[in-house]
Amino acid sequence: MEMAALHLPSFSIQPSPTFAKHCVSPHATQLRAGFVIFQCPSRRNPPKSGSRMIGFRLLKAVSDSVSSAEGAAADSQDEEVVTSDSADDFPADSEDEKVVVTSDSSNDFPADSEDEKVVATIDSANDSPDSKTLVVVAKLQAAISPLSPFISSMKTYAGCNSKAIWLSTATAIFLFIAVRVYVGMTQKSKHNRPGTVADLVRRGQLRSDRRAQGISSLKYEDPFNNPYVKLGKSNSTVEMCGKVYKLSPVTLTKEEQAIHQRRRSRAYQWKRPTMFLKEGDSIPPDVDPESVRWIPANHPFATTSSDIDESLAQTNVYQKHGVPFRIQAEHEALQRKLEGLQQDQKLNKFFIDSDNAKAYERSLKLHPKSNEAMDQNPSANQDGNSSPSSSNSLSSSFNSTAPSDELQKP
Amino acid sequence: MLSLKPLPPNHNPSLLHSLTPFTPPFPRTQTLKPSKHASPPSAIQSALQWNRKPELAGETPRVVVITSGKGGVGKTTTTANIGISLARLGFSVVAVDCDVGLRNLDLLLGLENRVNYTLVEVLNGDCRLDQALVRDKRWSNFELLCISKPRSKLPLGFGGKALVWLVDSLKQRPEGSPQFILIDCPAGIDAGFITAITPANEAVLVTTPDITSLRDADRVTGLLECDGIRDIKMIVNRVRTDMIKGEDMMSVLDVQEMLGLALLGAIPEDSEVIRSTNRGYPLVLNKPPTMAGLAFEQAAWRLVEQDSMQAVLVEEEPKRRGLFSFFGG
Repeated sequence: MEMAALHLPSFSIQPSPTFAKHCVSPHATQLRAGFVIFQCPSRRNPPKSGSRMIGFRLLKAVSDSVSSAEGAAADSQDEEVVTSDSADDFPADSEDEKVVVTSDSSNDFPADSEDEKVVATIDSANDSPDSKTLVVVAKLQAAISPLSPFISSMKTYAGCNSKAIWLSTATAIFLFIAVRVYVGMTQKSKHNRPGTVADLVRRGQLRSDRRAQGISSLKYEDPFNNPYVKLGKSNSTVEMCGKVYKLSPVTLTKEEQAIHQRRRSRAYQWKRPTMFLKEGDSIPPDVDPESVRWIPANHPFATTSSDIDESLAQTNVYQKHGVPFRIQAEHEALQRKLEGLQQDQKLNKFFIDSDNAKAYERSLKLHPKSNEAMDQNPSANQDGNSSPSSSNSLSSSFNSTAPSDELQKP
Repeated sequence: MLSLKPLPPNHNPSLLHSLTPFTPPFPRTQTLKPSKHASPPSAIQSALQWNRKPELAGETPRVVVITSGKGGVGKTTTTANIGISLARLGFSVVAVDCDVGLRNLDLLLGLENRVNYTLVEVLNGDCRLDQALVRDKRWSNFELLCISKPRSKLPLGFGGKALVWLVDSLKQRPEGSPQFILIDCPAGIDAGFITAITPANEAVLVTTPDITSLRDADRVTGLLECDGIRDIKMIVNRVRTDMIKGEDMMSVLDVQEMLGLALLGAIPEDSEVIRSTNRGYPLVLNKPPTMAGLAFEQAAWRLVEQDSMQAVLVEEEPKRRGLFSFFGG
C-alpha cells in the first residue's frame, strides 16, 4: 500500500466526463455514474445480480501501470482504482477513499480482464501536508473516479463497437472485391475454356471472318403491342420471358446459296435406285448395277415373297368405295365354301339304308315304272354330287315312298 | 427464335401482361379479322403473326418431306407440331409416318390406340385408304396415316411407288384434296429415306446446332438436290441461347452459314417437349404456349407462305440495374 501511495502521484487523473475533450453527453455521465458501482461482467463468468466485487488485482494493476507510466509518454492511459461495497450507492461521503484503477485499452490486460475491475480500498491514515494534498487529490479522484470506469467501459465498448463496425465494413468490401475479381477471372477463363465455338473455328468448320456476331443489330419499326415483347428504348432489344434479346439479321445471300448448291452437287453424286435387291440376290442382266440398291435380309423392306401384284396394289390404293379387294376375295371364297357345304348336306339326305333299301325294293316291285328310276338313283346317291334337277326328282320320288316307309317302321 | 411483324394500326392494343389461356383466333370458315364480339382478347391474339391468316402459296397439295439425316434431332416432333399448327390455321393436313420399322408419329399425337390399318393393309387390299386414315378428334382437318405396323413389312420394289399412288389417291378423293401432305422421313439415307422423298416437292431439313448433325444435314441436302427437290428450308432445333451467348454452341446464323439454306424456324430448347410427348399432346396446343410452341407456330406460318426468317433473336446480357433500381430508378 505504501507502494501504491507512493505511486499515486504518477497516476494520471482521469478528466471529468463533461470535459469537452472527451465530448461525453450528460446522459453518458449519468450512465457512468450509475455504472461505476457495477462490475463489468466477465465474458466467461457473468456476475450474479447483487454480487459484490470479487476480483482483486490491485498489486498487478499497480505494477503494470507503474511500468507503463515509467516507460510511456506523458499521455499514458488513465488508470483508476475503484472500490465499491454495494451495487446501488456510491458513498461519496464515505470516509474510505476510493481509487479506481481501470484500463482504457486492452493492451495491458487480457481481454477478459477488461471487464474486470480492480478494487482496492485505501485508507487515508496520513495527516501531513503532503498527505493532505494527496488526500485532496485522492478525494478529487474519488469524486471523479466513479465515473471513470463507466467512461472507460463505454470507451472500450465504443471502441469495440467501432472496431466491429470497421471490421465488418472491411470484410464486406473485401468480399465484394473478391467476388468481382472472381467473376472477372471466370469470364476470362471462358475464352480459354476448351469446347467452345472457337474450337470449331480452329478446326476449320467455321470461318471466323464470316461470323455474324459483330453485326449491328437490326431495328424494326413497328413494335406491335405484344405482352411477351418489351422493346428497349433504343428499339433494338426485345425482352421476352425474362430474357433480353437483340435482333440479328440473316446474312445469307442468293449468291452464297448458289455456291453451296454447287459445292453439294460436286460432293454428292447420287442416282436414285430403281431396284431393291436383297443381299445375295443376283442382278438381272438388263438392269444397271448402279441403279440397284442392296437391302439386308432383315430390313423391313425385305419380304420372302410378294403375293401382291403391283397393278393390284395400285388398284387397292385408288379404291374409293366398296369392299376392299382382299376382304371381297375372302368373302367370295367363304361364300363358295358355304355353298359347297350346303350341297353336300343335301346330298347326304339322299343316302339310303340297307333295311330301307329292301323295303324300298318291295315297294318298287309294286311300281315297275319307278324301278327304272330307282336304278338310276343309287348310282347318283353314291356319287354324292347330284344336280338340282336330279335332286328334285329324287326328292319327289322319295316323297312318294315316304309314307310307305313310315308305315313300315316300327 | 421468333420473327416479328407489325400489327395493323387498328389492332386492339388492350392486352394482358400475364399469360392467359390460348383460344383459337380464327374459325375455320373465316379468314381475317377477329370478331368484336369475341371473348376478351387473350395474350396470344396479340402475339406474333396472329393478326391475319397466312396466305397459302404454291400448288396444292403441297407435299413436304421432313428429314434430317441424323436421328433424334426432332423430325417427328416437328412433323407433329407443324401439322397441328397448320390444321389449327384452317388447312387440311395429312401426316404420313414413313418410318417403316419404328413408328412414332402416332405416339406424339396421342393416336396410337386408333391406328388399326396402315398403308400395307391398303396395298394388300385389307382396307380402303380412307379406312386407314386416322382423323384427329381435336382437329378434324388433321389426319394421320402410318406406313406399316412394326412387325409387318413393306414389299420391296414399290415402296416409293406406293407413296406416289398414295398422294395421287389423296388428290382424287371425294372430300377434296388435302392442302398439305407432311411426310415424316426416317433417319438415315437408305431405302426408307429414298421411299419417303419420292413423292415430295419440297423439304424441311431439321438440324441441331452441333457439328455432327450439320454434316449429316449437308449430305441429305445434297441427296435431295440430286433427286430434284430444290425448295429446301431449314429448321434449327434445340437452340440454347445461353450456350450461344457463352460461345459454347454455334448460333443459328453460324448454322445457316455452314449449310447455306433458308431458315424456316429456330426452335429453342424446351423441356415441355418431353412432357408433351408423354401426354400425347402436341406442344403447340399448350395453354399458355411455350417459347418452343410459338416458334413452331411461326415456322408453320412461314411454311404456308413459303417465307423464311429475315432475322434471328440473339440473347443479350440483361441491363444492369443501378444501386437505386429498387426505388424505381
